[in-house]
Amino acid sequence: MKTLSLLSLVSFLSFQSLPPALQPPSLEGLEPEVAAQLRDARALLDALQTEAAPPEELADAYGELGRLYHAYGLAEAAAPAYANAAAQAPKDFRWPYYLGHLEQAAGRLAEAETSYRKALELQPGFLPAWVHLGEVLLAGNRPDEAERILKEVLASSPKDAAARAVLGEVALSRRQYREAVEHLETALAAAPDADRLHHPLAMAYRGLGDVDKAREHLSKAGRVGVRPADPLMDELAQLRQGEMAHLLRGRVAFRFGRFADAAAEFRKAVEARPDSVPARINLGAALTQTGDRKGAVSQFQEALKIAPDNGTAHFNLALLLVQDGYDTEAVKHLEEAIRIEPRDGAAHLELAQLLERTGRPAAALIHYEKAAGLLPQDERAWMGPANLLVRMERYREALEVLEAAHGNLPASGRVTYGLARLLAAAPDPALRNGKRALDLALKVHSARGTAADAETVALALAESGRCDEAAEWQRNAVEAAHREGPPDRVPAMEKELTRYETGAPCRPGG
Amino acid sequence: MAAADLFVDVAAQSGLDFVHFNGATGELYFPEMMGQGGALLDYDNDGDLDAYFVQGAMLGPGKSPVPVPRGRLYRNDVSLHFVDVTEKSGLDARGGYGMGAATGDIDNDGWVDLYLTNYGSNRMYRNNGDGTFTDVTQRTGTGYPRWSVGAAFFDMDRDGWLDLYVANYVDFSVEKNPKCYAASSRRDYCGPADFPPQPHTLYRNRGDGTFEDVTARAGIRQPGPGLGVIAFDADRDGWTDVYVANDGAPAFLWMNQKDGTFRDDALLAGAAVNRRGQPEAGMGVTAGDFDADGDEDIFRTHLTGETNTLYVNDGTGLFEDRSTETGAAQGSLPFTSFGTRWFDYDNDGWLDLFITSGAVRLPLPQTDQLYRNVGGRLEEVAGAVSGAPAVGRGAAFGDVDNDGDTDVLVFYNNGPARLLMNQAGNRRPWTGVDLGGALGARVEVRRSGAPALWRRVHTDGSYASASDPRVLAGLGGKEMTTVRIHWPGGKVEEWRGLPTGRYILRGNQQ
Repeated sequence: MKTLSLLSLVSFLSFQSLPPALQPPSLEGLEPEVAAQLRDARALLDALQTEAAPPEELADAYGELGRLYHAYGLAEAAAPAYANAAAQAPKDFRWPYYLGHLEQAAGRLAEAETSYRKALELQPGFLPAWVHLGEVLLAGNRPDEAERILKEVLASSPKDAAARAVLGEVALSRRQYREAVEHLETALAAAPDADRLHHPLAMAYRGLGDVDKAREHLSKAGRVGVRPADPLMDELAQLRQGEMAHLLRGRVAFRFGRFADAAAEFRKAVEARPDSVPARINLGAALTQTGDRKGAVSQFQEALKIAPDNGTAHFNLALLLVQDGYDTEAVKHLEEAIRIEPRDGAAHLELAQLLERTGRPAAALIHYEKAAGLLPQDERAWMGPANLLVRMERYREALEVLEAAHGNLPASGRVTYGLARLLAAAPDPALRNGKRALDLALKVHSARGTAADAETVALALAESGRCDEAAEWQRNAVEAAHREGPPDRVPAMEKELTRYETGAPCRPGG
Repeated sequence: MAAADLFVDVAAQSGLDFVHFNGATGELYFPEMMGQGGALLDYDNDGDLDAYFVQGAMLGPGKSPVPVPRGRLYRNDVSLHFVDVTEKSGLDARGGYGMGAATGDIDNDGWVDLYLTNYGSNRMYRNNGDGTFTDVTQRTGTGYPRWSVGAAFFDMDRDGWLDLYVANYVDFSVEKNPKCYAASSRRDYCGPADFPPQPHTLYRNRGDGTFEDVTARAGIRQPGPGLGVIAFDADRDGWTDVYVANDGAPAFLWMNQKDGTFRDDALLAGAAVNRRGQPEAGMGVTAGDFDADGDEDIFRTHLTGETNTLYVNDGTGLFEDRSTETGAAQGSLPFTSFGTRWFDYDNDGWLDLFITSGAVRLPLPQTDQLYRNVGGRLEEVAGAVSGAPAVGRGAAFGDVDNDGDTDVLVFYNNGPARLLMNQAGNRRPWTGVDLGGALGARVEVRRSGAPALWRRVHTDGSYASASDPRVLAGLGGKEMTTVRIHWPGGKVEEWRGLPTGRYILRGNQQ
């Protein structure tokens, strides 16, 4: 990377003083595989020291030990190991680079800067180090220097999303919103998964006065950031062994939808510790996603043999059993899940739906009520019982459920629609309220505008005695129903239209 | 004066012998690590601040120490000598695992009342005005039963009665204590992401000694792992808004819609996540006019590896993360910080910051920090706070010895509290305003040749703690011309010719 001159490397401090003594961490409580890995690495170093091995071999042994400590989050132990590695092999850029990472993470910005600069002196073409140096400079409120360095990174690698993201941040810090937009849009184009960047981008648009655009990006903002392609840090992550490491890697793969990779990692976690319940449950979940239902069932059953009181295993197994038609077995597992965790709203909801489907409406209503209390933001927990109560002709209770649902989910089209419909056309006329039904129906129609929504407006108008307007809305509804298809509902709608056109009284069911 | 003399711990010699007990048994129950705060309050209306200390308990099976630890109330006698009056006061907070305290006069009788948050049922205590309290939890209906940490009294509807926002945390249960692991694979405390976040609670004061849970009606719907909470007028429209620091999740900024409802607009407002779009582990929070432009800016404390974050208000309720540019970020990365507050420790007219810290992963003890505000730029004052590193959590602020500067009562997890007496502030001119606990009132201190000082009457903010409601404004060497009181109901009152160097008492005039 010729554009990055060593002249920019100011305040460089070399590793000339004696390296610090190693600080071996306690291995107590670590997974056996992890403890063994750390012990072996230390034993190798000790053996090399005893036989007075050449410096480059010693450096590798110190460095490997440091990397292992680093990979397992044992930063206090990793730092002296890297410093010793650097002392043995002062021309190897990896050790100051890794040390820089540790220092950056600990907020020791001056030390991190020194380490990154040292690494870059040895390996000027290693882009990730430049990006991290830029981050450190920005964190130290030195945006000009950060910008200079990151722009040179771009000169060498114009699509580097990480460098663009930091430059976007620099621009935001200066309130240069147009420039921030440019950098962040470019970063997102290069790394579309980095949905966290939508937030600073939204702030840049807000700064430009474009609130709509800002909101659009906020709605896309997530937690995935961007980092430079970094083979050294990737190697570090691969050093981790044992159940927890595989679980962690598997969860990351699962989160990104790489289910086969996730299953492979979870399988390794099971191999590392066959009695691990989390490993088996995660493997079951990943296998479900890959379509291997039989394998998934087997993992959940194994998990339950090890931990019969694991609610998650019961729940997940129940879902698979339902799909395979084993309703009775599924009910048992859901009941177990609820016995174990009475506040498991999802289990209550699944059980309610299953009980309803298998002809036990009274029992279903009990679990729907629990589910609505525990998952007040879940539409299904409200609409399930409301529809069931309507089918049971318990309209007043259905109305109460829908009112409560509307209180919790005022923006839900489905809930508002259901409430409007019942207020307009409940078979019990005492429950009707044409004016309120109309307000709600218009609201949901303006948001969704389907044939059914137009029909609800017509119903509400009819209930209010406004037959001509009802007819007009019903005509629109019929037209929309033709457009939306299938046309099965049209004859019934046209029949209603005729009634409205006949004039008052045109109340539904009247 | 050497920096080390700025704040001196006098807890032991003043009779504050409270020691927090977190009940840790090695089972790694999450609440053990999250405690705890307390309050500075003048419960006996004798003109000086008394102290309440929140206490932990034994979680799960285990032998509790004898006597059973309990929250304690200490009366401040004239000579800064504290006497334990818990037994006499009727405050018996046993039965829950104490987390925090909030104070306010819920019945407008002129005596400050006390609300305690718990892992377990929260408690409301009414001050009887004779040195005793009555548990009115049941009568007021404010006993949220699960896990709450922060709470804030404020007048949401400007009816002259204090309402209550309670920030609830996560759905943890001792019975289902999951096993969590550090990167090293060693078992460790779980974090907030390991549990479902809880919905928060808003109670409206009916003015008849009871409260109504208006959470759903007010639109406070989405759950969040809430810790610190502060009520202030973010957009200066005369209606109090609520800001909640969520732990590891975007913060809430509940904007008061003036009709009994609130709308969270923290994301667009730029105060939900940091500049990079990352949600941070929000613990403590404070709002104050740090840059002397008449609006309130938000400062939040976070976990090790994250900076503390300063959101600067543009006066309309839109915020910008200026942590790095203002110096708030620098020096914060190594700390896990909790209790904090904007306060003018040296009475120079600029709001400074005190921050208490303690890690949640070993090693736990950390040092407390003081940042001096130099014309809008924050600079850490090294060595300003006496005492060895400890596990800081809550912090309450107030002029304990009525000498015209702000002292700090710091609550440390599983250790003794410290009463840090300010040795520097009263050397500069100041004025004090005591509005009888009219929370939300804004005090505008006009000075010749300098911007007005805007201060708010509040007890909330920090972490799980309640502070002195009196306003203490350092005049920064300028002459005070007038003082305007902007009462929460909208009335503005102006005072002229006031003396400095003393507290001006004015009853609640709402």
